[in-house]
Amino acid sequence: MNERDTTNARTAPDEQHTDSADEKFRSWTESSGTGTVNIKDMTKVYGTDGDELTAVDSMDLHIEAEEFVTVLGPSGCGKSTVMECVAGYLDPTEGEVLVNGEPVDGPDPSRGVVFQENRLFPWKTVTENVRFGPQMRDAVDQSRIERLFDQMGLEGFEDSYPHELSGGMQQRAELARLLANDPDIMLMDEPFSGLDAMTKELMQEKLLDVWEDDDRTVLFITHDVEEAILLADRVVVMTARPGQVKDVIDVDLERPRDIDMVTTDRFNELQRRASESIHDEAERAMEQAEGRA
Amino acid sequence: MSTGSMSERIGDRFGESLPSPTRGVRKLLSLVGFVAVWWLCYRFGVLNFDHFVSPVTTLVEFAGALAGQPLTEGGDTIYLHAVYSAARVAIGVGFAAVLAIPTGLVVGTSQRWENLLYPALEAFRPIPPIAWLPIAIIVFPTLALGSISVPLPALFVVFVGAFFPIFTNTIEGARNIETEYRRAAESLGASSGNVFRHVVLPATLPSIITGLSLGVGLGWITVVAAELLTGGPGLGYIIMQGSRLLQNQIVVIGMLAVGALGYASSLLVERLGHWLMPWSTTEGNRE
Amino acid sequence: MEYAQRAEQSVSLLALLVIWGVATMIVGAVPSLPTPPEVVMAFVDAATGGAFWEEVLLSTFRVYLSFVIAAVIAIPLGLLIGRSAIVEDLLFPSLEVLRPIPPIAWFPALTIILINSANIVRFIIFLAAFFPILLNTIEGVQDVEVEFSQAASSLGASSTQILRHVLLPGALPSIYTGLVNAMGLAWVSLVAAELLSSTGVGYFIWNAFTAGEYPNVVVGMVAVGVLGYVSSALVRWLSAQQLPWLQSTTV
Repeated sequence: MNERDTTNARTAPDEQHTDSADEKFRSWTESSGTGTVNIKDMTKVYGTDGDELTAVDSMDLHIEAEEFVTVLGPSGCGKSTVMECVAGYLDPTEGEVLVNGEPVDGPDPSRGVVFQENRLFPWKTVTENVRFGPQMRDAVDQSRIERLFDQMGLEGFEDSYPHELSGGMQQRAELARLLANDPDIMLMDEPFSGLDAMTKELMQEKLLDVWEDDDRTVLFITHDVEEAILLADRVVVMTARPGQVKDVIDVDLERPRDIDMVTTDRFNELQRRASESIHDEAERAMEQAEGRA
Repeated sequence: MSTGSMSERIGDRFGESLPSPTRGVRKLLSLVGFVAVWWLCYRFGVLNFDHFVSPVTTLVEFAGALAGQPLTEGGDTIYLHAVYSAARVAIGVGFAAVLAIPTGLVVGTSQRWENLLYPALEAFRPIPPIAWLPIAIIVFPTLALGSISVPLPALFVVFVGAFFPIFTNTIEGARNIETEYRRAAESLGASSGNVFRHVVLPATLPSIITGLSLGVGLGWITVVAAELLTGGPGLGYIIMQGSRLLQNQIVVIGMLAVGALGYASSLLVERLGHWLMPWSTTEGNRE
Repeated sequence: MEYAQRAEQSVSLLALLVIWGVATMIVGAVPSLPTPPEVVMAFVDAATGGAFWEEVLLSTFRVYLSFVIAAVIAIPLGLLIGRSAIVEDLLFPSLEVLRPIPPIAWFPALTIILINSANIVRFIIFLAAFFPILLNTIEGVQDVEVEFSQAASSLGASSTQILRHVLLPGALPSIYTGLVNAMGLAWVSLVAAELLSSTGVGYFIWNAFTAGEYPNVVVGMVAVGVLGYVSSALVRWLSAQQLPWLQSTTV
């Protein structure tokens, strides 16, 4: 608690501290490169001999720096596994994942993650959550945090605990926590799937704003066809398990985008194509799930 | 939360046919009824209640004891006995917490330490704490610090009673932390030390408090048993002493005092929990 | 990998024996802390005689009898209290006065109140088991989502049918948690009560202590530990049998 008070009360020595923190921050972001992701012939098998489950099978995917890619797939197709390998939580069984040409070695603040269920730390206030990343490097920049609160519309909830926020606001706070770290790559695993339809649209627009403002690489997992097309430069359609790339759809809609675009002819055309592509896979995934039960 | 309203609603359905006094009156009625049943048992000799003591005598004597009269002729006041028992519980539970929480965190987060420590400790767990009393008497002498005697055997038994609930709940809590909280912290740049401090510790805290509250409960059970067997001063001792002197009101006063202190200490642990976890909602985030 | 785990676990248990052995050398009182071989010998002696098993059987029977009686009374009572605010208000405050009193604290009072002294230990175990079962039953009933009851009543269930098909199964996981806790506390109070009386494993321990037969003290402790462990395992097994819809979650 005291920690937070001292940073709020900004005195001269603190100012100085912020300057050096800024420097630390800059040198840290500059060193972390541009944000290309290269998934090469990646296979991920869970379990051991006799009881194996191949989640992803020889997948290849290259993501350019500052590109927005959505991965669209039926449930249980291993799309989360792809994300977990890029995040560095899991090691691929075969093949490799390169980020900026280097093999991924564990989680790293240059690769920020937003989870499907809200994972704000319930025991920290919103401010403590948003400050968490910079705090870990001793590089808290209070004015930057304030800007993020402003950008995400979180003012007035600085000292609230996550459970006191609405679902949409929790997701905005989690996004703010991620942005406070200024990651090159944002990994998002169905982040909006738990929200109601209207909040979801608002969050999609917010995300587009954020992304169009300061160009980061985004790998966004979803099972929602409309969401996949609305957000992405490219939509990668995955097959049912074992997951492979089935289809890649270039989304040539102009930017900046907003939710009204979903009624245009071009959008509908792309949506039909993606839906057809995923339909059979969804059926197969359902059969798999029934077989397991 | 919806639960209270449900019992309320069904209660209302019941209530339609009955005259329904307010809740407070009903609760008071319950306590009056309790004393009345006790008195009737005493008056009409249900079982051997007529040899026991009437609620009236007990309440009058209890008031006297609270006013500071010695419980037995020339003996100590109830406050002194209460302080002795409470201090034993506090010290025993305190030691247990200091050892059980770190051990539980280590066992709950590291497979290797689990393998090394858990089997040995698990072998002790099913042995009821009071069964340790003879061994404790053999191993620990009773120390005397000036005029105050330190009953190590009793303290050890309380320690054993409180250790395992705290230990197992800490392990349980540390094991059940949602992996994604750790992952979120790691992706935000937290070192393993920071993950422990900012994720493992706060996420385990609710279970630790649960363990502590169970530990305090067992602490009171064991301290009374130890005092019944090994003497006092202490509330367990005066219960025994009261029955030896055939002063049954002292027996009941002792029982009620132990109950009240046990109740108060569980409230204290609850308050501690709220203080340590300002983020928790009133009912606690049990999942 | 698994081999290494087993090895570490064995180290853990071996270390226990070593620490025990060392402790017997350090504690110099005469007669001192019993050593592991002495305890094994004492156990063989006890196991071949009849008296030890008699005490074991007596204690086990006591615990199970009182446990069952406690369950039979506490579960219906808990359902009733959890379901009706009136019953809750009329009964719960009185029970709350009695609940925090440690069961063993009843011992001296019971020696006067109860006519048959054999019932003293039984009643103490009953008290130890009664409150955990009661509280968990109440909590379980109150935590059943009201929507389930509403759904059942929309499907045409009467209020007794709701009790039977919704509230009881809904509360069952919590009831079993109470039963597991109750079994543990039953053994705790059994030993305490028997230390003060003249039969059972608890008495066996205390008698060995006062007679200076220290190895038998440990034999008694181990016996009680094993009995308590097996009893709790039995309740857990029963709960797994009765709650197939909770498959993977541990109780």
